[in-house]
Amino acid sequence: MSRSLLRSDRSASLLWRRKLADRMATGLSWLAMLIVVCVLGSILWTLFKNGLAGLSVNLFTHSMAAPGQNGGLANAIMGSILQTGLAILLGTPAGLLTGIYLAEYGANSVLARTVRFVSDMLLSAPSILIGLFIYMVLVAPLGHFSGYAGSLALAILAMPIVVRTTEDMLYLVPVAMREAGIALGAPKWRVILFICLRAARGGILTGVLLAVARVAGETAPLLFTSLGNSEWSVDMDRPMASLPVAIYQYAGSAYQDWMQQAWTGALLVTLGVLVVNIVVRVGTRGGRT
Amino acid sequence: MNVEVQTETVAAEQTVTVAEAEKDIRPIALQVRDLDFYYGKSHALHDISLNFPERSVTSMIGPSGCGKSTLLRVLNRMYDLYPGQKATGEVIFDGQNILASGVDLNVLRSRIGMVFQKPTPFPMSIYDNIAFGIRLHERVSRSEMDGRVEDALRRVALWSEVQDRLSSSATAMSGGQQQRLCIARTIAVRPEVILLDEPTSALDPVSTARIEELLDELKTEFTIAIVTHNMQQAARCADQVAFFYMGKLIEVDSTARMFTNPREQQTQDYITGRFG
Repeated sequence: MSRSLLRSDRSASLLWRRKLADRMATGLSWLAMLIVVCVLGSILWTLFKNGLAGLSVNLFTHSMAAPGQNGGLANAIMGSILQTGLAILLGTPAGLLTGIYLAEYGANSVLARTVRFVSDMLLSAPSILIGLFIYMVLVAPLGHFSGYAGSLALAILAMPIVVRTTEDMLYLVPVAMREAGIALGAPKWRVILFICLRAARGGILTGVLLAVARVAGETAPLLFTSLGNSEWSVDMDRPMASLPVAIYQYAGSAYQDWMQQAWTGALLVTLGVLVVNIVVRVGTRGGRT
Repeated sequence: MNVEVQTETVAAEQTVTVAEAEKDIRPIALQVRDLDFYYGKSHALHDISLNFPERSVTSMIGPSGCGKSTLLRVLNRMYDLYPGQKATGEVIFDGQNILASGVDLNVLRSRIGMVFQKPTPFPMSIYDNIAFGIRLHERVSRSEMDGRVEDALRRVALWSEVQDRLSSSATAMSGGQQQRLCIARTIAVRPEVILLDEPTSALDPVSTARIEELLDELKTEFTIAIVTHNMQQAARCADQVAFFYMGKLIEVDSTARMFTNPREQQTQDYITGRFG
């Protein structure tokens, strides 16, 4: 047997082993992906199957009503939009500024490490704790539940998500780009505001959208804060309805029409988050680099 | 221009070389005196003294880690961004020691601009990339800004390529175009000195040639300091070459002298490719 043949034999077995490892790794990745997609798919499928049946104009024009009274979810939809919207309006600037502090100024100082730790704790804290906290500091002293209290609880949930994504995205901005800004004679704040944030905006936007998705579906923090309301109300100083709380209330009931509306409400939350995502993505696509 | 070339030819025929003659005539734009530089405890530059004659190209060469880029980053005090980096000695610019405390760094950097190794277009339009620097230091009307942007782009020979898409993103340009944009952005601020840190090492030969041509034009107006790994580039572009080795300035001389008859053996070895 010639030497070259021997050598090619050896590399052939090596090649075969590598190919096998490659196939196995690829196969396992596919399997894992299939499991995840199946779970997600089955959730969505159940949601659509049960929720679509209850979708009607009535749902959007009428407020919640007693079983059999042909009520809708208009007040809960409005309540969710108002509370989620205000929560994002409050949580985003606070989260953004904290993220900027952590990435650009605090670095590894004691304060920054503490803030980072607390923020990460908040990120994983049970949301009902946040609800109880707001209940203690706002609802109990004022003596009444309100949409504002609900928004505040949701804002506290949204904030750490924005903090983390802002910080992570700012770290991704190349040092060379910062130095280029500084080299033109730009002060640090201008480099951060006009160069780094611009470079990171796609990722930061994703963080804000994640926060929207997270808080739009939260029930627990609202139970002790905005409580819920069966009447139409846009006064945020009063108890306020929301889709998740309505779902919680309806799904646990024994009435067929309420249970149907709970499914449809869940579908609406999901679709709502999807629509916000698409609108924001399309709306900002032009400027993204 | 022609007249200049002729006088240069005449000068070359005499015993003194052109660059030497020029070196004697030109005033000094930037003067480095007894400079030492430290990255924490590591002593990166040893007792450097070097003059940068006005409106000429000084090229800094030497093997990796020899301190040439470090010196460049001292000249606009870029090192200030990083705690632990320290420079002692003097760098005299416009009669002032720029290493002294109390120097307004933003103003200094507007007068001593810098172009980096990798093109760093900002994530904004081509127009705004240029306008960004101008807006930092001046208040100009919209029409004046248009003029300044056009002027800067023309001078780096980019205008004809991008005039129809000034509002499109700068990050979509080719690497060579991006680097010319970065040069345009720097000169738009109207500095007196331009520092270039291996500006062509990430570019293809055609883009490199265009930037080298550009340097020839820019030196009629700016003082240029360029760090390069490319010996041919130094030979082509520079009026004066400084050779660094292990944090020390080994030799500085006119380009002609440096590449034909260097005084130091180390320089000779480096430029003939025996090490580095």
